[in-house]
Amino acid sequence: MSEKLANDAVVDRAIASINGLHVDGGEVFLRDGQSTSIEVRDGEVENAITRGERGIGVRVLRGGHVGFAYSSDLSPDGIEDCVSAARDIAAVTEPDGDVSIATRKIDSPDLQLYEAGSEGRSVMERTNVAFAVERAAKNVDPRISGFRKTTYSDGSMTTILATTADVRGTYLETYFSVGTSAVATAGEERQVGYHGEAKRRFAAVDPEAVGRRSAELAVGKLGAQPFKTQTLPIVLDPYMGMALLGALVPLFSADSVIKGKSLFAGKIGAPVASERVTIVDDARTPGALRSAPFDGEGVTTTTRTLVEKGILRGYLSSLKTAKKMDQAPTGNARRGSYATPSRIGAANFHLAAGTVAPDLLITGLERSLHITSLLNLHTIDPISGEFSLGATGDYLEKGERRYPVQGITIAGNLTTLLSSITGVANDLTFGSSGLGSPTFVISELSIGGA
Amino acid sequence: MAVTENDAARALRTALSRGGEWAELFWERQNVVTLTLDDNKLEDAITGVDQGAGIRVTAGDRGVYANGNVNDGDDLLAIAGRAAAAIAEDGRMREIAAVSADELPRPSVVRIDPRTVPIERKVRLMKLANERARAFDPRVHQVTVLYRESVQDVVVANSDGRFRTDTRTRLVFGVLVTAKQGDVLESGYKAKAGTEGFEMLSEETVLETTETAARLAVQNVAAEPAPAGTYTVVLASDAGGTLIHESVGHGLEADLNLKGMSVYSGRLGQKVASELISVVDDGTDPGKRGTQAMDDEGTQTHRTVLIENGILKTYLNDKKHARKLGIPESGNGRRESFRHLPICRMTTTMIAPGASDPAAILASVKDGIFVKGMGGGQVDVVSGNFAFEITECYRIRDGKQAEPLRGATLVGQGPKLMSEIDMVGWDLGYSVGTCGKDGQGAPVADAQPTLRIPSVVVGGKVTAKKAKA
Repeated sequence: MSEKLANDAVVDRAIASINGLHVDGGEVFLRDGQSTSIEVRDGEVENAITRGERGIGVRVLRGGHVGFAYSSDLSPDGIEDCVSAARDIAAVTEPDGDVSIATRKIDSPDLQLYEAGSEGRSVMERTNVAFAVERAAKNVDPRISGFRKTTYSDGSMTTILATTADVRGTYLETYFSVGTSAVATAGEERQVGYHGEAKRRFAAVDPEAVGRRSAELAVGKLGAQPFKTQTLPIVLDPYMGMALLGALVPLFSADSVIKGKSLFAGKIGAPVASERVTIVDDARTPGALRSAPFDGEGVTTTTRTLVEKGILRGYLSSLKTAKKMDQAPTGNARRGSYATPSRIGAANFHLAAGTVAPDLLITGLERSLHITSLLNLHTIDPISGEFSLGATGDYLEKGERRYPVQGITIAGNLTTLLSSITGVANDLTFGSSGLGSPTFVISELSIGGA
Repeated sequence: MAVTENDAARALRTALSRGGEWAELFWERQNVVTLTLDDNKLEDAITGVDQGAGIRVTAGDRGVYANGNVNDGDDLLAIAGRAAAAIAEDGRMREIAAVSADELPRPSVVRIDPRTVPIERKVRLMKLANERARAFDPRVHQVTVLYRESVQDVVVANSDGRFRTDTRTRLVFGVLVTAKQGDVLESGYKAKAGTEGFEMLSEETVLETTETAARLAVQNVAAEPAPAGTYTVVLASDAGGTLIHESVGHGLEADLNLKGMSVYSGRLGQKVASELISVVDDGTDPGKRGTQAMDDEGTQTHRTVLIENGILKTYLNDKKHARKLGIPESGNGRRESFRHLPICRMTTTMIAPGASDPAAILASVKDGIFVKGMGGGQVDVVSGNFAFEITECYRIRDGKQAEPLRGATLVGQGPKLMSEIDMVGWDLGYSVGTCGKDGQGAPVADAQPTLRIPSVVVGGKVTAKKAKA
């Protein structure tokens, strides 16, 4: 049996190993996580899955060159090999004087990201959450005929970040999630509705709400009709709103801005959206899904207003891009896992709530389309800002639902979309991706159809 | 570590020590190198190794799966113990069959292992691409070049005595070009990818890939937006096969059909497409991105005819669903890594070539849209509604390719679209991608001949004239 090192000892070894090389410095990121998923369908358990992941990612700096290596072999030899691999591969990169490691002490308050005791939770208690989701969905309507899959998951993770400049931080986090795809059947027609939630605490997950919304989405699509090609005002509820808002994040990346790949380049202080639009990236709200005390480079995270009443106020930065722009880093170098280096990303990114109730927002619209699902969100081009998506929706007159539609597209540009937001409601909701949105209205979009 | 037949037998015995009927071990080691050249700089260089295993125990329809990173035999036994504890049914010990190795033929030949190629040579190809893209047109504004190599060593063993290994060497060389004209930014992306060795990346291939990406970016920045509405569409074979992947492929995966969740459920032997349409999934097509000797349950890959002249023949399956549906094993049980259970997935999926002259198909359309490039797509298998991205298209005027149009989306319903296709060309073109399903990515390829769709919804911008309609 090879020697097993504890997490802190692994990080200490890796830092010592970097210090033993003739390099300018380095950074070690360790993640140790366990998770459980229960997949059920129609009241039966199909699969119970337990996962473990443990590994390190090492970044080594040498004369402006930077190399990254990762390994799941955390034996003393494995750590040594990983550090050497990072040093060796650094040689092929081109030097960049703005590359650096964190040197400032991390401000790490308790952000309430961890709930103790989840490891001891019985399989039955976990399974019951998934069963409760299916029961709630079935109670919505007799036309709910089954489920594609219902999954309950939870997990806990330890993250440690250390640099050779004596920066070191650790935090624990947990998550609990449940989601289902309910299927509604009427004659030959079948429609599906997906909904899921993710929270930091077990009791915060609401299986009733998850089941209900997925069932309502599925049933609501039954009898969907083709729709004429036209332009109409578009209503996005919080879940559809956050799906589109997610595509905006790359436009705020300082890396994309510097490289001329963002439509927001050179627009600080200029209008980029309607004055109803305020966009915030928040990494410090206790208990929120994407809150974290420090980012993937060991920089203390922040909460910032990126767009204030339509005016662009800031970008999302890493250490390197902050130095290039001569600004303070914002703590947005996010880490997906130990095997991937930091990439600029958002925390709890959201469109700030307006003041009116959603109903009041839409009753004033003579004719409009409320989007109920979107296909192909991953094809939105963050460089051109262009999107063209498959969609289903509800056709509304004076805010009243007339009939569901399918087989349509909505298309436009993200920048035009932001400047055409004519109303924002007060129902800000955060979803399982960590994004948040209230209901909002876009004055006009192209709808492709019959 | 390298897992031996003895290690596997020990782990499988432990897995079945507290009940359960069948057990399986999946072990992998994946070595990855990723290089990114951006903004004229070789900016990111990543290398790593991930080693882990997953052990599955089943009892009837119930399954448990335990997985984690492993470095030695003790780690492996610990995972087997976790799986055993989770199944803990009747506590009865099951015997396992003698574990013995057998070799499967490897469909893809790797002549040059990328790990033996000096990294400087990889970087040189990336710089060549960067230079060529920048020289292509003054409107080229930014260039990103990505190189990724992965070598995945796999062992699959199960309590039926199976012990099989496979090595999947996969390369991706991608070029993303941004073009700028006034305030308009557009991008063009092209990738060359396959289950092949470094011989795949000749200078000619790299330059061809680069020029396609640059041409698309420059063309799009000057193009008018595609219109919105219903049009006759010709899909060129160059466009690759996102259409077949989304509109039909996912709907033919057995897991969804067993549950009656697909528009193709319960329709074996029935007509589900025009008689011009035959659909094949081929995990043995040498060098293609979806190709491997065996799937991730150790079942040999196959060339599977799914639809023959419009008639549904079988579904793409893994062991569990082949058994439950009473159909032959097709070798389509794939998983992203040891962290996941295998699910029914495509490999290289295609519409088989037909009898029409591709040029005649284009010439037959008076007014329509000519699609020469497809990007990502998505399908709702329950309703059959799908969407896919058009990355390169042109207006057809009087049977000829006319002005380019900026990308759009094409939407429809699988079975309906497949029954409406009325011309199928004798050519065949491939495309590559990474398919996502249930949170797992899988390398795939798709292919199709030139096709004519008489009437389908194109999602672009509503023109003034259409808006009044």
